[in-house]
Amino acid sequence: MRAKLPRLVVTFSTTAAAMEMERYCQANGISGRLIPTPREITADCGLAWSAPSEAESAVLQAANNGCIEYAAVYHLVI
Amino acid sequence: METIKVDALGLACPLPVVKTIKALEALTGPATVETHVDNETAVQNVTRLAEGKGFPVRSEKLSDGHFVITMEADKPAEKAEETPVACTPDRRGNTVVAITSDAMGHGSDELGRQLMKGFIYALSQLEELPKTILFYNGGAKLTTEGSLSLEDLKSMEAQGVAIMTCGTCLNYYGLTEKLAVGSVTNMYVIVETLAKADKIIKP
Repeated sequence: MRAKLPRLVVTFSTTAAAMEMERYCQANGISGRLIPTPREITADCGLAWSAPSEAESAVLQAANNGCIEYAAVYHLVI
Repeated sequence: METIKVDALGLACPLPVVKTIKALEALTGPATVETHVDNETAVQNVTRLAEGKGFPVRSEKLSDGHFVITMEADKPAEKAEETPVACTPDRRGNTVVAITSDAMGHGSDELGRQLMKGFIYALSQLEELPKTILFYNGGAKLTTEGSLSLEDLKSMEAQGVAIMTCGTCLNYYGLTEKLAVGSVTNMYVIVETLAKADKIIKP
């Protein structure tokens, strides 16, 4: 099993927004990856953006710059 | 056509089957017989009774602990001296079916959709039903409103088969509010279900 680390997890209300987030972040060199939304979180969409905790401001800035609406921001050990 | 309701809620096997047999024997002509039961094994046993008599049968889960089996009897059942009643414990094996598209196979999607409809119908006729059917990606279209497989899927659900559809996929296709059978699941449950299966069938 992978070691669990503290991560930033951003959820979305639609699958389309989560996929747009991946496109935008990959195109702009923002760290993180799309993961299935962890089960401890209830979200409308089953995909979430996970990034190192310290990348929070860069990730949220990216969402704002890309006009991607996110639902909630969590810090989890996953 | 007359509809006869048999209330077998709260009764353990063989009573739901026995009460249904008595209702079938008491018919005076063609009738629809609805047996209400409170557990999946009873659904399976009453379904098997109807199949044995050659009556078209379907079943549905109305709520937790309430199932209805509906059979179309074209004539009264003959009174048998002693009708053997089998209390088969459970008809489900530890097989998981993963449905990843609304079409079966590649080539023609129009043909593939017909094949998938036939696959699900035939699945519902298996002697040993699967434990779980997973629907993801285009498969999500089969558990939602307008799907022509709903009757077969509801019948399997009433017999205890878990019908689970990927929530991410429903959301992607705009079908979240249209789920018509079973429950919504996520990637963690999908992976666990596949990992624990004895056998996986992927049409």
